[in-house]
Amino acid sequence: MKEMKTSGFISTTWWSKTVVASLMMVFACAMSAQDEPIVVVNESDTIRPTKYIAELMEEPPLPFFQGFTLSGDLFGPALYLISDYGSVEAALRLNLKSTYFPIVEVGYGSCKTTDAETNISYSTNAPFFRIGLDWNILKNKRQDNRLFVGARYGFSSLKFDMSGPNMTDPIWGGSAPFNYKDASSNSSWLEFVFGTQVKIWRNFHMGWSVRYKHQIKVGQPDYAKPYYIPGYGTTTDTSCWGGTYNLIFDLNWGKKKLRQTTNKTDK
Amino acid sequence: MKKLLCILALTSLLACSSNNCPLGSTVQCNYYFYDRNGVAIKYGDSFSVTTLLPGEKTVYTYRKLGYQTETRNSRDTTLVNAGYTETVGTARKDTLLVNKASGRAYIQVPMSYFNKADTLIFDYSSISGNDTIIVEHDGYAHVELPECGTHVYHHLRSVRSTDAAIDHLEITNPLVDYEGNENIRIYFNDVVE
Repeated sequence: MKEMKTSGFISTTWWSKTVVASLMMVFACAMSAQDEPIVVVNESDTIRPTKYIAELMEEPPLPFFQGFTLSGDLFGPALYLISDYGSVEAALRLNLKSTYFPIVEVGYGSCKTTDAETNISYSTNAPFFRIGLDWNILKNKRQDNRLFVGARYGFSSLKFDMSGPNMTDPIWGGSAPFNYKDASSNSSWLEFVFGTQVKIWRNFHMGWSVRYKHQIKVGQPDYAKPYYIPGYGTTTDTSCWGGTYNLIFDLNWGKKKLRQTTNKTDK
Repeated sequence: MKKLLCILALTSLLACSSNNCPLGSTVQCNYYFYDRNGVAIKYGDSFSVTTLLPGEKTVYTYRKLGYQTETRNSRDTTLVNAGYTETVGTARKDTLLVNKASGRAYIQVPMSYFNKADTLIFDYSSISGNDTIIVEHDGYAHVELPECGTHVYHHLRSVRSTDAAIDHLEITNPLVDYEGNENIRIYFNDVVE
């Protein structure tokens, strides 16, 4: 500033000094606000770009254990109201880096039906379990909404009752009742899941999932195959579609920790 | 997205409501024919298969010197008027299962629901004798799906026969269901072609 002061072109009054200082500051700010690196030309005429400090722009990494979610299915109970079968189920899902979500699902399924044509009745009430993993495929892992693909291994150990009209031999004659109780079956299946989860209010989320299920094993006694497997559905085919509509409580410790850390840094 | 959801919902309904009952849902024991060397054959001559039923029936037998003996399930007055001598007796009830089959590589025969053994009588047109096959089995009710109804499956325990035209028998698949698999092989001897 002293050098400028000595210039003969600018007057040395207080007003002039203030104007020149302001212009210099505006110019300096404009220069520093440019995206392009500043090029400094030194005496040996070599061009050296200034360093871009990327660390300042980067967000802090997500903690490995982010928390967990508890969810309940609304589709299963609704299905029970409009059909012969349905289920209630809850799930506990861990949140690892908001990317991987190991999950355990536990439920209880029920079915009571009688076929109108054959008059054969089937009933069962049994628990079921699923274990698996969801993968959040959204690019932005920090947002509250998620889009999942995943897989499950399902298992149910059930007892069922089946009864029907008497069986009559059309050629040799004779008749016998068809009535079996407490038949045992251990069944397992595989599920491929596609689903989503959207924040509704605070920690409460809602979401749905569509599932393609394929039987691995359906244990059955000689006389009957279980018609409905809790957690899987009806056994009319070796594969079936299913779904859930979930009310989810998302406890995200990782996000809370991250917020606290950011606040401390800001202060 | 809405279209995708509609397609998924429709697919799930179709997938879960389709009827998967077998088309030919009659449980039958499948007998396949072989020559004594184990080569699959088509049995050229005609034959009939009857099975014995529980209980007895009244049988009327008519004999006349120099004529073939006639057997009837009911009284035949024309034969009496023709000079035949009538004898009234009893015999096991039977029913025809296969009627004059020819050129067949196999036959399908139903099995009794509650009997421990079935007796089949093979009556050949080309030879005077016949063969009796006794099949021992355990029957049990089976329901694949409630919409498909009740069926009786069988587990074959043993099979034996006389040897007028049959060399020997073999159980190849003891489970008799509606899948149509070969259950028993009949190896014919050289008496019939």
